[in-house]
Amino acid sequence: MVCTLTRPLRGWPLALFQLDDEYDQNADPQALVEENRRLRKVCQALIERVESGSAANGAPYAAFEHAVLLAEQVRERTDALHRALDELNQVNAQLREAHAEAQAANQSKSKFLAAVSHDLLQPLNAARLFTSALETHALPQDAQPLVGRIGRSLKDVESLLGTLVDMSRLDAGVLQADKAPFSVDTLLDALAEEYRQVAGVRGLALHYVGSSVVVESDLSLLARIIRNFLSNAVRYTPQGRILLGCRRRPNGLEIMVADTGPGIAEQQRERIFQEFQRDALTSQQHSRGLGLGLAIVDRISTMLAHPVTLVSTPGQGACFSVTVPYGQHAPRLPGPVTARLETDFSRQVVWVIDDDPTILEGMQALLGQWGCRVRAAGTVTALEAASDGERPQVLLVDYQLGQRRENGLTLAKRLERRYPGLATVVITANHDAEISRQAREAGMHCLLKPLKPLRLRMLLTSLLAQ
Amino acid sequence: MFHPLDEQGAHEPGNGIITAVSSQRDAWRAVAELAARLYHPALGGVVFFCTAEYDLEALGQALSNSFAKVPICGCTTAGEITPSGYGRGCIVAIGFDGRVFSVVPALVDDLVGFDLPRAQQLVDSLLANCRPKAVAPLNENSFVMTLLDGLSSREEQVLATLDAALGRIPSFGGSAGDDNHLTHTHVFAEGAFHTQAAVMLMINTRLPFDVFSTHHLAPRTEKFVVTAADREQRRVRELNGVPAATLYAQWVGVAVEDLTPALFARYPLAVRLGDHYFVRSIQRANQDGSLSFYCAVENGIVLSAMRPLPLLADLENMLDEIKARVGPPALMIGCDCFLRRMELEALGQLESASALLRASQVVGFNTYGEQHHGMHVNQTFTGVAFGTLSAG
Repeated sequence: MVCTLTRPLRGWPLALFQLDDEYDQNADPQALVEENRRLRKVCQALIERVESGSAANGAPYAAFEHAVLLAEQVRERTDALHRALDELNQVNAQLREAHAEAQAANQSKSKFLAAVSHDLLQPLNAARLFTSALETHALPQDAQPLVGRIGRSLKDVESLLGTLVDMSRLDAGVLQADKAPFSVDTLLDALAEEYRQVAGVRGLALHYVGSSVVVESDLSLLARIIRNFLSNAVRYTPQGRILLGCRRRPNGLEIMVADTGPGIAEQQRERIFQEFQRDALTSQQHSRGLGLGLAIVDRISTMLAHPVTLVSTPGQGACFSVTVPYGQHAPRLPGPVTARLETDFSRQVVWVIDDDPTILEGMQALLGQWGCRVRAAGTVTALEAASDGERPQVLLVDYQLGQRRENGLTLAKRLERRYPGLATVVITANHDAEISRQAREAGMHCLLKPLKPLRLRMLLTSLLAQ
Repeated sequence: MFHPLDEQGAHEPGNGIITAVSSQRDAWRAVAELAARLYHPALGGVVFFCTAEYDLEALGQALSNSFAKVPICGCTTAGEITPSGYGRGCIVAIGFDGRVFSVVPALVDDLVGFDLPRAQQLVDSLLANCRPKAVAPLNENSFVMTLLDGLSSREEQVLATLDAALGRIPSFGGSAGDDNHLTHTHVFAEGAFHTQAAVMLMINTRLPFDVFSTHHLAPRTEKFVVTAADREQRRVRELNGVPAATLYAQWVGVAVEDLTPALFARYPLAVRLGDHYFVRSIQRANQDGSLSFYCAVENGIVLSAMRPLPLLADLENMLDEIKARVGPPALMIGCDCFLRRMELEALGQLESASALLRASQVVGFNTYGEQHHGMHVNQTFTGVAFGTLSAG
């Protein structure tokens, strides 16, 4: 080994800044000279290093130092970024909280509205049944138009309330779609018939092109969409005609309602799907309605995932349409609405079970007027006691029979076992799709409150014809 | 071509990682063993680490044959980390599933000419090649692994340049080794082994990941100022105005002739920059009384004497921290300085360390230097940890 040292290192401090006292005191001149030499070298090296700066002179060590510096800066910036992100997260959390509160408040409002509307529907239901019964009585000449007007007013209240219930249920998220395949004419035939008369009253012609295509949708929700289209068309078309028809599209069947009304200006098209929007001109002539129709269409179509389109040329009319996916199978139940109305109900035994005595009375009056042999009671025991061993043909049962009792569906199943062939109609004020689905699966029918006498009559006709 | 479908084949990607190891001395047999375990139709890339004892030409051919069309890269080592812990004289490989990873390698065969424009070009082409098969957002869920020729003496400039071009994309890596012979270290890419070259591997993944680096050394009070250095050769001729080897040997307490890598591992030197110490490892003591380093040195830098703290405790601590960040690791790729391994061997703790690495799914190799965010560091354990898909 080549050694450039001329003096021994032993006993000398290795590192700087570690001079111990003993060494200092015993320092001989030679040692001090050596130390002085080393310190000069160290000083010289440090001076050179400092003066060269850490500028990027291409030296490898400078590159390393630069990388360390950069990494340190990145670390600092990352820390700062994390702090900023933390703050942002906090603000976001607060916003989420505020949003959740707002949503909860809105939901409770919707639920309140749903509950109130629901409670109002019950007595209204009874009132409708009574008026329908009253209409069939032989009344004094001047009383008849009055009864008719009461009936129509009640119907209006009912439809307004129905709209409110729908809206609040949609907003509260309690309304669930119950999709099933059905032939579209089971729905459209009835709607065409209904609105041909309504249009006729206002001097409008309704042109209907039927179709037997099977679609997959929630029949009653889809009906509400098309009803809204038709109501709007009738309401806003002063003269001319309305078309109800279908067109096959690649992604489904487009059901359209076109009119020859004033049309809708481009800038209004978004707005009319919001709540409480009615055309200013026409609203004066037709005070009924809350302007909720298209808002409901918007919500239902979103829920069903059925796209709604609007095509309109101002001055020449508008065409609203909804596109419904094609279905696979034929419907399991025959459409009750296609049945004829002129069936003779005489001597047909109909049982009614409801825990509300007013409803029982109302049903008794209505069904009695139609010629049915009605047995109405709150419980099966009471019913069987009153029925003298007759076999019932049709059972009308309320779904909600009080807190502690079995529901109407379970009760009906029990009765169906005892009376094979018994046709059951479950009646409920609960608009959940779940109940109608359960009823359908059990081979029963389901009607919603408020009960519409016409619909009940059509259903009974079809059930008793079988 | 040899690629039977493993039972873990292409059916279920899981976390998208399969590891394999072979101790076969014959290059073709070793690769056949790896391929049997790794190959499946969705294989998107392979990274391997192997002993330099292999017939590298045969190994390169075997790898190219068995993994045709699959991006494959790797390097020689100073010891391997296999799925069962520290190994030697073998080849370990990781297969990345293309459904969970997008793996794009690039070869840099001119380290001297690797300037910023070239680095930018390289990063752009890595990103462009990665983008079409990216499995996660490219800027957030990608990192770069660097494998450098450990005897090229170009690590600092190459890394600093690459890091500038990479911007926010994290990077780490290791310098290839050759079982402490200090003669030829190789990196593998584009179907062949290369010297004086580097491999840059961009990995984009759906798994959560974390790039880490740790060491177990603490400063003592002694300071040594480099008073004469040869920067091209990475040699320090003098410390504190005295021949470097002499002074160092005296600090250690041995004769200059008795200086060994094991002593370099136990008596490390480091530079302090800000609050952090960066170890500058000594490669060897030269005949002329100078010390050669594994990293860049410069006249006038101050080297602090360091002392090792318990390595196992530090390793365990770091592995726990990683688990806290990414959850139970699906895999960790570790670049472990060969001096650490030497220290563990000297202390008889290699088995305990193997157990820790095994439990944390670490595979990797012993390096002649580690790379972390553009910094060339020594005597560290540096790497990347992948969490699992469910944890992400």
